Amino acid sequence: MERKNPAPGVLCLSIALVTALLLAGCTGPIQGGSPANQVPPGGQNPSAGPKDRLLVATTTSLSDTGLLDYLERIFENNYAIDLQVTSQGTGKAIEIAKRGDCDLLVVHSPAQEEDFMEAGHGINRRCFAYNYFIVAGPADDPAGIRGMEPKEAFRTIIGKGKSGTPGVFFVSRGDNSGTHNAEKNIWNATGYNYTSEVRRSGAWYIEAGRGMGETLQLASEKGAYTLTDEGTFLTYRGRLDLVPLIDKGDILLNIYSVITVYTEDHPVEKITMANNFVNFLISPEIQAAIGEYGREKYGKGLFTPMSGGCLRFGCDCTTPASATRPSLSFT
Amino acid sequence: MNEIFDGFVQAFQLIISLDPEILEITARSLLISLAATGVASLVAIPLGGLIHFREFGGKRGLITIIQTLYALPTVVAGLFVFLILSRAGPLGFLGLLFTPVGMVIGQAVLIIPVLVGMTLVALSGVKKAISDEVQALGATSSQAIWTILKEARFALFGGIILGFGRAISEVGAAMIIGGNIRGSTRVLTTAIALETSMGNVAFSIALGIILLCIAMVVTAALFLIQER
Amino acid sequence: MIVFDHVDKRFGEREILKDLSFQVERGEIFTLIGPSGSGKTTILRMIAMIENPSSGVITIMGKDTRAPENERVMLRRRMGMVFQKPVALRGNVFDNVALGLRFRGFPGPEISRRVSEALDRVGLPGYGERDAQTLSGGELQRVAIARVLATRPEILLLDEPTANLDPVATELIEDLIISHNEENRTTIVLSTHDMIQGQRLATRIAVVLNGQICQIGDPHQIFYQPGNRDVARMVGMDNRLPGTIVENEGGFARVDVSGVHVFATCPYPPGMHVTLSLRPEDIWLSTGSGEGKSSARNILAGTISRMTSLGPNVRVTVTVDHGVPFIAVVTRRSVDDLSLCQGTTVQVSFKASAVHVTRADTEKNAQ
Repeated sequence: MERKNPAPGVLCLSIALVTALLLAGCTGPIQGGSPANQVPPGGQNPSAGPKDRLLVATTTSLSDTGLLDYLERIFENNYAIDLQVTSQGTGKAIEIAKRGDCDLLVVHSPAQEEDFMEAGHGINRRCFAYNYFIVAGPADDPAGIRGMEPKEAFRTIIGKGKSGTPGVFFVSRGDNSGTHNAEKNIWNATGYNYTSEVRRSGAWYIEAGRGMGETLQLASEKGAYTLTDEGTFLTYRGRLDLVPLIDKGDILLNIYSVITVYTEDHPVEKITMANNFVNFLISPEIQAAIGEYGREKYGKGLFTPMSGGCLRFGCDCTTPASATRPSLSFT
Repeated sequence: MNEIFDGFVQAFQLIISLDPEILEITARSLLISLAATGVASLVAIPLGGLIHFREFGGKRGLITIIQTLYALPTVVAGLFVFLILSRAGPLGFLGLLFTPVGMVIGQAVLIIPVLVGMTLVALSGVKKAISDEVQALGATSSQAIWTILKEARFALFGGIILGFGRAISEVGAAMIIGGNIRGSTRVLTTAIALETSMGNVAFSIALGIILLCIAMVVTAALFLIQER
Repeated sequence: MIVFDHVDKRFGEREILKDLSFQVERGEIFTLIGPSGSGKTTILRMIAMIENPSSGVITIMGKDTRAPENERVMLRRRMGMVFQKPVALRGNVFDNVALGLRFRGFPGPEISRRVSEALDRVGLPGYGERDAQTLSGGELQRVAIARVLATRPEILLLDEPTANLDPVATELIEDLIISHNEENRTTIVLSTHDMIQGQRLATRIAVVLNGQICQIGDPHQIFYQPGNRDVARMVGMDNRLPGTIVENEGGFARVDVSGVHVFATCPYPPGMHVTLSLRPEDIWLSTGSGEGKSSARNILAGTISRMTSLGPNVRVTVTVDHGVPFIAVVTRRSVDDLSLCQGTTVQVSFKASAVHVTRADTEKNAQ
C-alpha cells in the first residue's frame, strides 16, 4: 500500500533532481547567453564538448563602460572559447589574479601592475588603450577651478575645502582602485602627503568606498568635485549633474593594460589562450574597434587605442605575447 | 517618485516581452538557489536530527553557535567559501570559483545554519509521546529519526522556505564567489547591484519584482507539495 | 517471561520505583493496580525498554535488557505497548496501524492484510482511509491497540487501556484482551486503576503503591486477603477497622474494635493489634428482628448516618455503638423495600469469615 506520503524526502528528492539538472546546466544551455556559437571561417574550430573558459578579472570602471562586453563578442566569434568577465575593484581583481583564480587581468593602475609583475604573477603585460582622467564638478564651480592645470586645481580645492568655503567638496573613490591611486598620485605630486594631509582632513573630503559609477552619482548628489576616468564619465553623463572641468594634463593620463596571469600550476594551454586574448587586444583591427567604441553614442570614442604609438608612454603595445612563463630578464 | 514609477512600467514591459537576458538570469537564480537549498537540506536536516536525538557534551553550546550563525553575513560566508575554492585554497583543484556550482556551495554554506536551527525547532515541536510510541513500535534509531522528521515536516518546510528565501535574496556570497559574470554567474541579485551601480534604476526594479515573484511562486509550490 | 531483579528507578533526585523484584510468567495476564502516580506506567515503560532502570536488572524473554541497541530493537519488536494517551501520527489510520509493520520491513500485501485484520478486531473496520487526526479519543485508543496487535507481539503491554473508553468499547477491548491471551498465549501486562477490571481480567495482580509493589497474588487473594491496610483501601475494602484480639478459640477470634466486639477468623493470639477489613458487599442490612434467619455471627445495631447513591446501588454508612462506622452497599430495591433513610435504625450483619484480619505491625511494609 504505497500511497501519498508527503515527506521531506519528496522535496529532498526533487531538489536533488534540480541539483543534477543545474550541474548539467552549468555546461549546458545556461551559459549560452552570448551569441558565440557560430565560428566564422578563419576562426579555430570549436572542439566537441564544453568550451574552455577564459576568465578576465577587471576593474569596475572599465567594465561599466561596456567595452569588454563588446570585445568579448568579437573574441568569441573568432575563438572557440567562452570568455568570461568578472569586474571587481582593482585591489580585488589583482588579489584574484595573484591567487591564480583568473587567467587575465585588465587594469589601469601602473604602480600596482609593476608590483604585480615584479612578484612574478604575470607575463606579457601590454598597454592597449588610454584616455584621460577628468576632474568633474558642479557647473557653478564653487572653487573656481575651471581651466586650471590639474595640480593647481587640486591645490585650490584642498585650500578652499579646508577653509570651509561653502559648497566645496571632493568625493574620492576611497577603494584603492586604479582611479583612486591616480588621485593619490596627483595629491602627492601637488606636494601633499595623502595619508596625513588629505584623508580625514575635514568634511570636504568624502571617501565613497564604491565603484566609479556610484562615486559619480554620489558626487552628483552632493554637488562635489571628483576625479573620474573619461570612459565612465561619458557613459554616465546623461544621469549626472556634473560637468567636466579639467581634462588636460599629462598627470591625468590613464593607461589600460592587459596581463596574462601566471602561476606555477596554471596550465600552459590556458596561458596560451590568454596570450591569444592579449594579441587580440593589440591587433590592428581590434585597436581600430576600440577607437570606435562609443563614438556613435557619445559623439567621441571612450578610449584612444595605442595603435603602436606607445613608446612615449614607456609601455609595450606591439610585441606579440608568446611567453608562457616569466623570463628571468623580464621585469 | 517618477523614477520609481518608470521603474515599474519598464519592469512590466521587460517581463511581458520575455527579454531573453532577463529570462536567463532568472532561470539561473532559481536553479542555483534551489540547488543550494537542496544541498543544504540534505546536509542540515540529518545534522539537525543527529543533534536533536543524540546527547553529548557541549550540545547547548553548539546550538548557540548555530543560532549565532543565522546572522552570518553573506559576505563573510562568501569570503570563506572563496578562500576554500580559490586555486590557492584547499579545494582549488576543483576549479569551482566563479562558477554556478561554486555559488551553490556558497549559498548552501550560508543557509545550513538556518536550516539546522529550523530542524531543531521543528523536531522539538514533536511531542515526546510520539518518539516513545515510535520507539516502542520497534523502530531502529534511523527509522525513528525518519518517522519523526516526517511528523515535523510542516515546520521543516517552513525552514526550507526560509533558507531558500535567504539564498535567492543574498548578494554578498553570489558576488564574491560567482563574480557576476555575464552569461555564467550573473544572478538576479548581482545583476540588481550592477544595474543600480550603473544607474539603471528601472532595470533594477524590474529585476527586483521578478525576484519577489519567484520567491512567491516557489513558496507556493513548496506549500502545494507539502499539502499533497 | 519478564523478570525484575531489585530494580530502582530515579528521575534526578526523585525516586519513582524502589527495589522492585517480581516475575511475569508466560501466558498470564499480569495486572498492575494502583493509584495514579504510583509508578505503574514507569514499570510498563521499563518493560518496553523506553526507560532504563537506575539500578537492578530486567530480563525479558531470557535476555538482559542492558544489551546493545540493535538487540534491544529486536527485543522490542517482539513486544507491543499501548500508551495511556496514545498519539496519532500524521496520515490516515492505515498508515498509523501499519507503522510497526513497516519498521519490521513487511511486504505491502502482508501489511494490508494485517492492518485490516487488526482494525476488524478492535471494531473499526473500514477506518483505514480516515485521517488519524480526526479520531475521537476512544477511536484513537482502539487504533493504538490495533497498531500493536498488527505486529502480533509475544508480550502485550497496556497502560490503562480502557481509561478513555465508553462502557461498550471497554467491554470490547476487555474481550479482546482475554481472547488474545487465550488464543495466542500472549503474555499481557496491563495497568489499571479500575479494581473491577483488574478482578475481571487478571491472572495475577500486583498492587503498586508509592513506587513499591505491596502485594502480588491472584485476584481472590488481593481482594479478600489484602496484605495490609493500604492494599485494602486500594482494592475497595471500605471497612478498615483497627482492633485488638480479645480471645481466639481455634482460629475463631473475638476482636475489640473501640468497644464493639467483632467475630472473625484468624490465627492471631489475644492481645495482638490487628486491622479488620470487610468488603461493603459482604454486609447485610435488616430492620426489625430478622436475626434468626441469618447465619452471620456478627449482628450489630446502629443508625444510618449517611447514604450515597452509586447508580443501581446505595452506599450506606451505619454507625453502631461507640461511634464505629460500617459501610455497606445494598441495592436500591432493598433500600425501597426496607424504607431506609438517614436516621433509620438498622441491624448490620456479616459473617466472621468475611472479615479479613491483618497484623497491625505489618502495616507499613507488608509485601
